Amino acid sequence: MTETAVQLESVSYTYPGADAPAIENIQLVVPVGSRLGILGPNGGGKSTLLKIALGLLQPTSGRVSIFGRSAAEARRDGLIGYVPQKVEAELAFPMSVREIVALGATWRLPSWKPVPRDVKARIEEMLTLTGASEFADRPIGTLSGGQMQRAMIARALAASPRILAMDEPMVGIDAAGQQQFAALLDRIHRTLNVTILIISHDLRAIAAGSDRVACLARKLHSHVSPEGLTPQVLAELFSHDLAGITGMTGPVHVHAHRATECCEHDHGSGVAGHTHSHAHPTGNLTISAPSKPTSGKEPPHADRSVPL
Amino acid sequence: MQIARFLSDPMMREIYLPGTLAGLCTVLMCGLLSPLVVVKRLGFIGQGISHSAFGGVGVAAMLAAMGLLTTGGVGEFAVIAIFCIAAALGMGLLADRKRTPEDTTIGLFLVGSMAAGALLVAMARGQAARFGNRPDTRSWESILFGSVMGAGRAEVVLAASVLAIVLIAMFIMRRPLLFWAFDEDAARAFGVRARGMRIVLMVLLALVVVTAMKTAGVVLASALLVLPGATALRLSQRLIPVTLISIACGLIGLLGGLTLSVEQNQQPGPCVVLVMAAIFTVAMAWSAFARRGSATSAASAA
Repeated sequence: MTETAVQLESVSYTYPGADAPAIENIQLVVPVGSRLGILGPNGGGKSTLLKIALGLLQPTSGRVSIFGRSAAEARRDGLIGYVPQKVEAELAFPMSVREIVALGATWRLPSWKPVPRDVKARIEEMLTLTGASEFADRPIGTLSGGQMQRAMIARALAASPRILAMDEPMVGIDAAGQQQFAALLDRIHRTLNVTILIISHDLRAIAAGSDRVACLARKLHSHVSPEGLTPQVLAELFSHDLAGITGMTGPVHVHAHRATECCEHDHGSGVAGHTHSHAHPTGNLTISAPSKPTSGKEPPHADRSVPL
Repeated sequence: MQIARFLSDPMMREIYLPGTLAGLCTVLMCGLLSPLVVVKRLGFIGQGISHSAFGGVGVAAMLAAMGLLTTGGVGEFAVIAIFCIAAALGMGLLADRKRTPEDTTIGLFLVGSMAAGALLVAMARGQAARFGNRPDTRSWESILFGSVMGAGRAEVVLAASVLAIVLIAMFIMRRPLLFWAFDEDAARAFGVRARGMRIVLMVLLALVVVTAMKTAGVVLASALLVLPGATALRLSQRLIPVTLISIACGLIGLLGGLTLSVEQNQQPGPCVVLVMAAIFTVAMAWSAFARRGSATSAASAA
């Protein structure tokens, strides 16, 4: 039986004072060692979902389990390595890349204890694995977007987490960096067999590092078309803020499954806004979207593969 | 030189030594915290906490009017210090980056405490008559603000004790505190108690500001928390050099300012601030020059 890294059961969250839930009735199972991408528009609830998984928000209802523990316990026990979308820090912060990466592994150590040799070795190993060793002695404020991303991944991995959670990893990364990103994630996955969770509105980020994809949005632009989502529609969808485009307002569900399981998967919830998508590791993306519901019948789904 | 005469003369040394020692302790504690204040954009925290002390004066005046406190004693200082710590915690904990950023909460507590202090002091005079106590006629300034040269043995003990607290706290908390200071959101996601770190920093800053107010005056307290760190961050991007430069900048500012004040027969506080401001200007010019030089050499190499 496959061990479960992350399990969300009927998780909903409504921000205080908000009329509608940010996420509703989320069911999600992430097996250990898998790579899940959660795709969705700005304002679609991705960050809320990530905060709940990290134990930074308590769901309004439902249950979160990270390796059989509550999210807060998992965070306390250092099971999740987090890579933020962007570093909010003052870039003049007077520390080198190596010192910042080391903090990920050493901040729990009592101050009177020197850093153990194996922890030092792990820090160097993660700097090398992510390619950050080339600029490890440079001040953190002098890095490019791609270098900063590698440094932040190294910091997250230095803490020996079992899950690597990345928030919008493609933001601020140039074209060359984006190409390297997929190879880096692949290398990390092969070397450490860590469960990877990527949250993004960027199709490239999801396709680069995921073997499973879930789509999450409270309001999703829906093209009611017998042909489903064509490449042109996809291009339109992902070049805009989906929440800003007229779309469905019903409850949105998120779920993930292997691309190969698509045909076996039951899509017949018939709920407006129920949409899912998944990417093949080969680089093709398939999106399934509900067509216009017909009375008394479950909505048929149309699938299209789009080369990325 | 007059300064040399003052230091060699036993009687003059008796007068100047406590102030110099208290000033050195103050400079050391401020120099340690100053880079953190600058990178966390808390430049006005010194002003905020020191002006919040007016509220503490008001509370102390009311307690004294009711016969619960002796004016001018340790109890009065303790009430003011506790009020400042509470205000600093309020500034830090009520801050919310999106809706009420720290500069706003600092402003709120500053004006709120000053207003409360003004009302409480006025009311205390009436209350004193009611309780049959002698009204406190001292000025606020005399209660709150010290001067480097006015410090005595009590101020030296106070400054040395607070310096010890700052050193111990910074040593014990340095790893999570640095993690939190660099990237608050990520630190929270890693399990760092962000609220705890904020409380630690605010309590330390409140202690340092209250002490610096007593030993160095309010203007100098604010300057010592901003100028050394700002100067050091212009000259280095490494943690240990930045900390050492920050402390050195405070020491040079203090000793240079005191020398200037003695030589020119001027107030010590403004002289110290001006010397530190001059050091910052030189550091800024130097870093701009060095940056231009490295950009030019990089361009010629390309």
